Amino acid sequence: MTEDTNSCYYQVQDNEVEIFNFAKAHNLPVLIKGPTGCGKTRFVEYMAHNLGRELVTVSCHDDLTAADLLGRHLVSSDGTFWQDGPLTRAVRHGGICYLDEIIEARKDTTVVLHSLSDHRRELHLERTGEVIKAHKDFMLVVSYNPGYQNMMKGLKPSTRQRFVAMSFDYPSPENEANILVHEAGIKLELANTLVKLGADIRRLSDIDLKAAVSTRLLIYAAKMMSSGCHAQTACLHCIIEPLTDEPETIKALSKLVNAHF
Amino acid sequence: MEEVVGKIWDKWLTSQVTTDHVAAKVHFSELQTQLLIYYRAMGGDGAKSLEIAEKRDLNIRRSTMQKIAGSHKQFYLSWQDERSVRLPPFIALFAEKDLNQSLYFWLTALAAQLDKQSRCGLSYKDMTDWFNDNQQATRHLITQYAGLRRIYSQLAHEVLGLRNLELETLLAKEATKTKATEFFSRDFFSQKDGLTLAEKAIATVIKIPGAMDKYPHSHKDVLPVPLWLYPPLITQGAGADFKPADEKNKTQPKRNAGEVQEIDQRKKAQYVDDNRKTDGLLIFQAEALMTWTEQINLDRCQSDEDDDTDITEIAKDLDIISLSRHRKASAARIRFDLDLPAAAQDDLRLGEGILLPEWDYKQQRLVDDACVLQTMISDEVEPIALSSEYKKLSQDILALFAHLGLTPHRRKAQKSGDEIDLDAWLDDYALPVKDTSKQAFYIDTQRQNRDVNCLILADLSLSTEAYIDDKQRVIDVIRDSLMVFSEALTRLGDEFALYGFSSVRSQHVRYHILKNFDMPHSDHVRGRIARIEPGYYTRMGAAIRQSSQLLAERGGANKILLIITDGKPNDLDKYEGRYGIEDTRQAIVEAKLLGLVPYCVTIDKKGHDYLPYLFGHHGFSIVSNASELPRVLPKIYLHLTAMH
Repeated sequence: MTEDTNSCYYQVQDNEVEIFNFAKAHNLPVLIKGPTGCGKTRFVEYMAHNLGRELVTVSCHDDLTAADLLGRHLVSSDGTFWQDGPLTRAVRHGGICYLDEIIEARKDTTVVLHSLSDHRRELHLERTGEVIKAHKDFMLVVSYNPGYQNMMKGLKPSTRQRFVAMSFDYPSPENEANILVHEAGIKLELANTLVKLGADIRRLSDIDLKAAVSTRLLIYAAKMMSSGCHAQTACLHCIIEPLTDEPETIKALSKLVNAHF
Repeated sequence: MEEVVGKIWDKWLTSQVTTDHVAAKVHFSELQTQLLIYYRAMGGDGAKSLEIAEKRDLNIRRSTMQKIAGSHKQFYLSWQDERSVRLPPFIALFAEKDLNQSLYFWLTALAAQLDKQSRCGLSYKDMTDWFNDNQQATRHLITQYAGLRRIYSQLAHEVLGLRNLELETLLAKEATKTKATEFFSRDFFSQKDGLTLAEKAIATVIKIPGAMDKYPHSHKDVLPVPLWLYPPLITQGAGADFKPADEKNKTQPKRNAGEVQEIDQRKKAQYVDDNRKTDGLLIFQAEALMTWTEQINLDRCQSDEDDDTDITEIAKDLDIISLSRHRKASAARIRFDLDLPAAAQDDLRLGEGILLPEWDYKQQRLVDDACVLQTMISDEVEPIALSSEYKKLSQDILALFAHLGLTPHRRKAQKSGDEIDLDAWLDDYALPVKDTSKQAFYIDTQRQNRDVNCLILADLSLSTEAYIDDKQRVIDVIRDSLMVFSEALTRLGDEFALYGFSSVRSQHVRYHILKNFDMPHSDHVRGRIARIEPGYYTRMGAAIRQSSQLLAERGGANKILLIITDGKPNDLDKYEGRYGIEDTRQAIVEAKLLGLVPYCVTIDKKGHDYLPYLFGHHGFSIVSNASELPRVLPKIYLHLTAMH
């Protein structure tokens, strides 16, 4: 089944759309786990588009403070005024607030989500003393990649246990080939070869490679090939080089590419 | 003079018969790392390694010249068993370097494919299995991989060309005026040995894999097929498996005509069935004693030391050295039981020993009570104060900590601190009514509460006695590292414990307490660290399981199991090679399930071959300059536990 609504393409993998809709119906927040480039963000975009809601995406990083999410006072010529942060804006006016790679944010930052992600559905702005009841169309979605976490990072159990959680993985070979065909406009046969190459490289993840090759990288390679780039060259620069710095691994993977093309 | 002439003659003769393209020679060692990655990517077993194959006998038809030169009896054949894939040490078959390299990758791909079909050749009954398996795997590869199809057809073309050439040479010598192209239509070799048909069959299926499924019977071997993998070298009754000693197995391998002969590549591991309890020299009929290489089944376990040099000399002349598992084991037992210290001198044993399970990869299950771990502690140690040398090193490391890792946590809106918090001030400024008691406009930088428990497990096996340079042994470096690292950990405020381990078979895994979690770091602990000595073997799985248990019992959020070692897991019994690797891997998997973070620091430069499989890509560091270990270890630890 392929869902294609105007601008946003997403290849449905399993029952994720259903689950998301159920969660939405009950105003439950959603947690998406999955390796990088497997389609988490695309899925959220697709759902927002489907539901006709605004999507506010925040990419989390370790310097992200609560103020960056909630808002802060700013100075203007008339004195100070309060500026809503992305989260506050979504809570006030409705929309999906998507916190990407939430694990990167510091644990104390994510605590502000607590009152918002349980039955209360309200946001406490400590600085202004305001308590905002979430808009009926507000939905919280967070994601993280369980693969590359430092042992000191990780979601607090008290945070995790407020979400409807689902695991994403790289698409099945047929789905992935379809995605490549759709995104890059290449022939299905070529797409299948790329997918097989991807599967071979994924065998090495965690043994010889830090991360597995993502669907995103395969799409890059497919796109470059579709515009006439030589297969070996496209794979070297779109797949192998982004994955590793080890010269020996690069050589071995190049040989692997040669075996496929 | 005779010698010189002999040498020149030999050189000339060899050059006459050699078919290698020296200029295009590709060495295994150059490609090893790449090939291993390639093997795994193509679906080969992650636990297997790649090794060099040594020459094996093939009884092929030789030209008169080759016979005179004594060449073309042995060949580097590729094969694999459960432990590893063996590839030739070099390939110089083709005139082009690229082709020789391609052949390496082709063989690796084929090995991975055969491995995926779980056909390592271990169960081959005859050459027909070998013939069919290689065809099947080749067919699969060339239909599934467009690139390999291209490479294969190129290689196949070249190989067929070479084979024809070779046959033509033979032909020219033995049947004049016959062209190679006519070879297959004529019955050049005698009808009896069926070699014509066999050569024809091989040529056909190289061209079209899967074209034939019956291998013609032949008394002689066909020319080596460089594109294929050969059956592994095993002797029935022993082979790669360890059979229990009481299991009588008197059948000697029956040699099928045409089958490659069983010779081990390492001149070491052709185990002879020794269950007959005959210590005698001749356990076979005297007339069978043709050459040295046939059998020298002499029991030397009681030989005097003086004989050793002789044996080495003889060993050089032998292609096969037969070893009995029995004798090896008994010799080892004698040596090591004597080696174990007397109870009075040994460390104090705590309790009766703990029974621990072990993972048997063949059964794919955990075998309960497979080994006994003995916790011990040196009870009579001199307390030692931190020497000035260590003090200096520790200070350097602490300076590094301050510089590198422990970026303090910035707390906003504090009453006092070293920076102004503009956000807090603005918030306050915006308030219509100010509450002076709540005014806090500073950012304070504070150390975080780390909440880390770390158990350090040091390998104290005999291999650590090796010298890394003129002054230091591996064990000295480990000792220094533990000294300095424990100092650093104390200063960091992380909870830690120090243990060492070694083993003498499954019944005696020695687990030394240097410092447990509850002991304060003291001069006594330093005394115990100073006394660590190398000895025995590395049964890593048991030590890891026990350590995991101890660590799992600790509270706290972050638990690290840091393993310091110098090589692969091994022990005298079956805990060698794949068994040890798989058991250790399983112990690591169990540790991860317990919520621990296992991490390995090794000085084994070959660690890349097996550590990714054991600990995962993130799970280890290789310290190439062993003497740097005391400095590097704290850095690794810090990196591992670094906060934001």
